[in-house]
Amino acid sequence: MSTPTASRLHRPTLVIGIGLFAIAAITWHDAANMKIRASYGMGADAASYFISIFLGLLGLGHLISAFRRQTDPEPSDWKAVLWVSLGLLSLIAALWFDLGFVLGSTLLFCFTARAFGRKALLADIVLGFVIATGIFLLFNKVLTLGLPMGPFERLF
Amino acid sequence: MESLIYLMQGFGTALDPANLMFAAVGVILGTAVGVLPGIGPALTVALLLPVTFKLDPGGSLIMFAGIYYGGMYGGSTTAILLNTPGESASVVTALEGNQMARRGRGGPALATAAIGSFVAALIATAGLAFFAPLLVKVAVKFGPWDYFGLMLIAFVTVSATFGSSPLRGLTSLGIGLWLGLIGIDQLTGQTRLSFGVPNLLDGIEVTTLAVGLFAIGEALFVASRHLFNDEKPMAIKGSIWMSREDWKRSWKPWLRGTAVGFPIGALPAGGAEIPTFMSYTMERKLSSKPEEFGKGAIEGVAGPEAANNASAAGTLVPLLTLGLPTSATAAVMLAGFQQYNLQPGPLLFVQHPALVWGLVASLFIANVMLLVLNLPLVGLWVRLLKIPLPWLYAGILVFACMGTIAANPSVIELMMLVGFGFLGFVMRRYDYPIAPVVVGLILGPMADSQLRRALQMSLGDPMILLQHPGSAIMIAIASIALLAPFFFRGLSKFRQDED
Amino acid sequence: MTYLHSKLVAAWLTAAVAVLPAALPAQAQDLELTITAPAGAGGGWDSAARSLQDVMMSTGAARSVQVINVPGAGGTVGLAQFVQSAEGSPNQMLVGGITMVGAIITNDAPYDLTKVTPIARLTGDPLVIVVPSSSPYKTMADLIEGIKKDVGRTIWAGGSAGGADHILAALVTQAAGEDPAKVNYVAYSGGGESLAAMLGGQVTAGVSGYGEWQGQIESGDLRALAISYPEPIEGIEAKPLKEQGYDIELVNWRGIFAGPGISDADKATLSAAVEKTVKSPEWQELIKARGWADYYASSDEFATFIATETDRVHAILSSIGLAQ
Repeated sequence: MSTPTASRLHRPTLVIGIGLFAIAAITWHDAANMKIRASYGMGADAASYFISIFLGLLGLGHLISAFRRQTDPEPSDWKAVLWVSLGLLSLIAALWFDLGFVLGSTLLFCFTARAFGRKALLADIVLGFVIATGIFLLFNKVLTLGLPMGPFERLF
Repeated sequence: MESLIYLMQGFGTALDPANLMFAAVGVILGTAVGVLPGIGPALTVALLLPVTFKLDPGGSLIMFAGIYYGGMYGGSTTAILLNTPGESASVVTALEGNQMARRGRGGPALATAAIGSFVAALIATAGLAFFAPLLVKVAVKFGPWDYFGLMLIAFVTVSATFGSSPLRGLTSLGIGLWLGLIGIDQLTGQTRLSFGVPNLLDGIEVTTLAVGLFAIGEALFVASRHLFNDEKPMAIKGSIWMSREDWKRSWKPWLRGTAVGFPIGALPAGGAEIPTFMSYTMERKLSSKPEEFGKGAIEGVAGPEAANNASAAGTLVPLLTLGLPTSATAAVMLAGFQQYNLQPGPLLFVQHPALVWGLVASLFIANVMLLVLNLPLVGLWVRLLKIPLPWLYAGILVFACMGTIAANPSVIELMMLVGFGFLGFVMRRYDYPIAPVVVGLILGPMADSQLRRALQMSLGDPMILLQHPGSAIMIAIASIALLAPFFFRGLSKFRQDED
Repeated sequence: MTYLHSKLVAAWLTAAVAVLPAALPAQAQDLELTITAPAGAGGGWDSAARSLQDVMMSTGAARSVQVINVPGAGGTVGLAQFVQSAEGSPNQMLVGGITMVGAIITNDAPYDLTKVTPIARLTGDPLVIVVPSSSPYKTMADLIEGIKKDVGRTIWAGGSAGGADHILAALVTQAAGEDPAKVNYVAYSGGGESLAAMLGGQVTAGVSGYGEWQGQIESGDLRALAISYPEPIEGIEAKPLKEQGYDIELVNWRGIFAGPGISDADKATLSAAVEKTVKSPEWQELIKARGWADYYASSDEFATFIATETDRVHAILSSIGLAQ
């Protein structure tokens, strides 16, 4: 990604421009299919059309600037991003499969710590587990708020 | 001077040792919960509301006041230190505040926020005590056309948060506006862009967007960079206290922020965000060192934080005098009043003067307690940054996700949070400013419904916007602010861009 | 902080109880219930659910009650989740009301109230029709006259589009002999914001729950022309529309439901527990304090009521153009 592009075309800017066009088209389509009309004044579709045009113009702006010189972003550590993503996904999965907040948060904690270069997995799991359990007890028991429960949480 | 006598009696009530203790407990709880990233004052108050149920009305409301102000203080702490605002009104605080923290000036940033909040809340609470009945008469005269004018001014001020490239700034704003379309339109019941997903019908939650973009986006971005970036992003350098220069640069923004925040907060549909945007823009324009903005200008923390707290006191004006909750926090407060069969409204001041003035007095007291509690804590909070990076960000992510699912225990909400996190990461990577997205999501739907309400009342005649003096003046101000730079500097600047 | 403390103790007790085998036959006092409030904390359904929670536990109608909030889309998000998760469950209940009936229709929601088992109708609040104190309209007849003269310039303020307030405005317009689709109804996010529009004199008339505007009506800032409740209510000066010769009634009711396909025995147990709660002096005191009116109806009566209510709401929403 970070290598200077040989052609003068700046690819990320181009992709963002095309993305904006796509969103604008979806918004226009959505507005055109609205059924409920306002009896007086403007309907709900007016804002959609306005923003659709606005996004279209921004898309055009991106296409133009894609042909100009752009500074490339600094290099990224994609492995670290992957670890954090894995952590976030584990929390989502834990809630999706009703495995509970504590398990999901523990995984999120130790995977994120791993992303930042920690290797002591066991220590992080224990720390994450203690923090997550503490939060769970505080919120569900003291503040009576429903954080998602799994088999472990039901023990309390 | 009747008010003054009542207020003195109120202090009598509030200074009762038991009530004093309730205020202290409220302040400590409010700060402690509010400081968690992703948890703003509204959720703080909602979470702690049940704690107050079993007290008598007086004590409970006093504790409430403490929680409310405590939550406000707590929210700015994480915005400054960790770039994770817990609520939309602290988004602007994060802009300069976090830059200061990165330059090792987290201490002064927290101090100016705390003292600014104190000054603002003090003045605004006094305004509440003496001018509430008067102010509310003006506020209800504000029609949808006037609100639309105010939104236009707010939109113009947003450009201050754009950073270097107008195209990127406008794109961020456009994404925010687009997100604001999603959901059921309040005026007609028409759904927009919900793609049949029921969870989208109520629209995008501002807190979910803000926490996703800021907290999660930030964590991803820092993770992607820390290998290549040897400097520790947030070392503590120099004194943690405000220098003489900091004071000199802060006191005017505090007062100006208060002057903007209180009246807008008192408007039935004003809210806390708009005054923070306006204050930020104003400070940027008036600063003697505008070049420091974006790199940690103390005025950019002092002004918006004062505006934020002043507007919080402002929202109590319509709440107490009309029973009209104008913010999420105020809505929860209203529920608190109703617990005791107290209906805030025109008769509240007449029927329960002791209670109302006790509450006003305890707001003063809570405010003093907060300052006493928070200034020494600045040192402690700053030390938060000494937590090793891996644990710090792991903790932020756990708390941020927890805040979102605590408010709405739904996997889809969590997925949106994570999605916004990746959006925030991509935007940071390609240098798009983050704040305008949040601004767009807040202002877009408001401007849309106020404009359409105005047109509905005029049966479609757009001239209504110019027929009312208030809206005409505000639209003129917005147009001048938008166009003037083009006339004076625009042309030459454009030519420079071409080179 | 004794409350926090007792809460902790209670939490530990419930936790201790939860691990005991629950094989005993279900009796009311053993009930461990979960009530879904299909709205965020602080709203009407949430406070109904939490009030029920308090009274059920204090009267011993249930051993423990937990409230969970599933906000979204006029309650239809909560309803959908409830239908999927509470199938045949003897200990889950859902709070709902007329707004949900409207939202199911306007949102074209995947599940409607025929999917759940009605347990009881709990409360019903009157809506009130008001004009600003400076308005030339002194009576309901004046307002109707004004609608006949110019339906478009008779501007209404009230809660969200398609909600109970909107329905009432449309019914009144219809009663005046005008097309309900022509009602110039300006929707606000709640009783608070529309109140400001009323007090600012930007609109002709307003609709809201009586309780929300009670303060302004009593102080004389707003003039109440009529309430939508079928009978006069003690302590409310405004007369019902029916009594004034308009055949309109609309009650903002709330009720409680159990999951789809529960056994008759479970339904009887839940109904008995709710009935015991609602008939208790604690409940009567609590709803009085909240400004709610008792509108209790038993399971079967409630089921018939929902059917007719759904038809009625559907008809009026179609005439406004919000439903197919």
